[in-house]
Amino acid sequence: MSTFTITALNGVSYAFILFLLAAGFSLTFGVMGVLNLAHGALYVLGAYFGLAVISQLDQFWLGVVIAAAGTGLVGLGIYYFFLRHLYGKVPEQAVLTIGLGYAFANIILWIWGPFAKMGMTPSAFTGVVRVGDLAFPIYRLVIIAIGLIVLAFLWWMQDKTRIGAIIRAGMDNKEMTRSLGINYGLVSTLVFLFGAALAGFAGVLGTPILGAFPSMGDALLLLTLMVVVVGGTGFIQGTMLGALIIGLLDTFGKAYVPSVALFTAYVIFIVVLLVRPSGLIGRKVF
Amino acid sequence: MATRPAELLLGRLMRKTSAAPPVTAERRSAAALVKTWLPAIVILLLLLVLPSIVPSYIQSLVTKMMIFALFGVSMNILWGYGGIPTFGHAAFFGFGGYVCGILIIHGGIANFWLNLVLVMVFTALLGAGLGIPAFRVYGVGASDNPIYFLLVTLAFGELLVRVAISARGLTGGSTGMSGIPYPDLGLPITINSYSFYFLVLLVVVVCLFVIHRLVNSHYGYALRGIHDNERRMQALGYNTWLYKYTSYIIAGMFGGVAGCLFAYFGGVMVPGNMGMAMTDIVFLIVILGSASVYFGPVIGAVLVVGVEYLASVYVPERWPLIMAVLIVVVIMVIPQGVGVLLLDLGRRVFRGRAT
Repeated sequence: MSTFTITALNGVSYAFILFLLAAGFSLTFGVMGVLNLAHGALYVLGAYFGLAVISQLDQFWLGVVIAAAGTGLVGLGIYYFFLRHLYGKVPEQAVLTIGLGYAFANIILWIWGPFAKMGMTPSAFTGVVRVGDLAFPIYRLVIIAIGLIVLAFLWWMQDKTRIGAIIRAGMDNKEMTRSLGINYGLVSTLVFLFGAALAGFAGVLGTPILGAFPSMGDALLLLTLMVVVVGGTGFIQGTMLGALIIGLLDTFGKAYVPSVALFTAYVIFIVVLLVRPSGLIGRKVF
Repeated sequence: MATRPAELLLGRLMRKTSAAPPVTAERRSAAALVKTWLPAIVILLLLLVLPSIVPSYIQSLVTKMMIFALFGVSMNILWGYGGIPTFGHAAFFGFGGYVCGILIIHGGIANFWLNLVLVMVFTALLGAGLGIPAFRVYGVGASDNPIYFLLVTLAFGELLVRVAISARGLTGGSTGMSGIPYPDLGLPITINSYSFYFLVLLVVVVCLFVIHRLVNSHYGYALRGIHDNERRMQALGYNTWLYKYTSYIIAGMFGGVAGCLFAYFGGVMVPGNMGMAMTDIVFLIVILGSASVYFGPVIGAVLVVGVEYLASVYVPERWPLIMAVLIVVVIMVIPQGVGVLLLDLGRRVFRGRAT
């Protein structure tokens, strides 16, 4: 039973890392219809930015902020120089961002070398919480808490704020939103910046658990796609659900049936596609 | 020219109603045929004499260009003609290569022709299997925004990469499969890099010819019709799903042939050959060469493989950066591709001479 609880905790914290990773993608893809397949590479970029700051200054939260800002700026560049001009040309967006993703991976390799790095857990969060005879690592609980805060924030933003209303309006009818006098270009630029920053944010927070190496972007992108497709696009709740399903399946699979664990998540992915292509929650935006 | 059984059969299979008369390409005069095919014939003749006048590294470079030309043209059946943006085409390329290697190393099948046929069968089966879930999310008239199809095919490719990594016994895991020998033709000819060049030339030319016939047949015109307006094709009684599905299988099959040749060419197959990076390269080949021109991807393959070779000589570590720059330039500056530019140039030159 205790292994089960620990595995469940690991699964949930992994799911929240996946949620943080996929939330930015889900925003830009599900809401704006812009495909940024460099998202995995942005996560890795964030992780390395964070590691650089943390190893220099020994300030974990400063590292998180700088990494998020840095990747946000990189994302802003991608949007401003390229994707903005490629609206509606989805395949071109995909080709371009895949290429940029590999370029980022190559730059990371160039600067930081090919070896995997482990992130340092901030000293406040090392150690464990004991409940009875079970020991929970504090850092994983912190990840869950941060994930919940981000989820609540995004949910609130989506449903209760003016910017959320603009985004939802743009999702339904971009031209009409524009003609109402709303600067939709500015809003989508900001959303894109925010989505990229979330990738970097997830990168720093996830590194103490997942580690970081230059070419990990591909695998992360695949996970992101699975989370977004399984959960459904257009709603942040869908992303959370997808992250929970993929994260728990993956973790429990690895713990209990390691021989088939690599494929449990993929099987769910294909089953969802066959049964409910628009994802579990959410609507088909396009 | 009059009756082509395969085409008739395909036509019967595809059309719901037999009322629509078959659209056949208009009969062209011999002179017009020569004019259309003249550049191709000149290039073919050049390719035939090339190995005897250039050093062997160029010969091997051209071999690679031909393989990637077939790869690009096979993908263009989907992207250029059907308007279907498949982001998992490398999966077929790599899968074909792996099937080829596995058949040789584990299956003990040395004969090239048998191997080629089996590769085509297996890649067609893969296409048939992946096509069903993939086209479930494609929908109708989705060529306007085929975002889900794109993501799903992309995920399939990456998924196969993971399968290849974990099925270590068969595929050699993440280091890949090495020691694939040059093919055995079942003829008293030993294959070395020189004769392999001609084998690749033969296979690629035959495949390009077959694909050319295909996309200029009734079937190909229907595919273009689906690209332009799928609803209208449905209204005309076409089972558009079946067209898209079969084109996915056919394109995958020829992609598999290219992968098989590539496995023989390099002697190795790595999981990355099925993944996103390879798909991106083939997309670059197609867009750079012009998706709207049949031989466009051939031009694209020559340029991309050429640049890759130069990069591998001078800055071997920075190829992804150079590729990204190439992609940015192609997509932001010349999205119509070099093939269209060349055709325009040719037309302008000829018009200038005529007047």
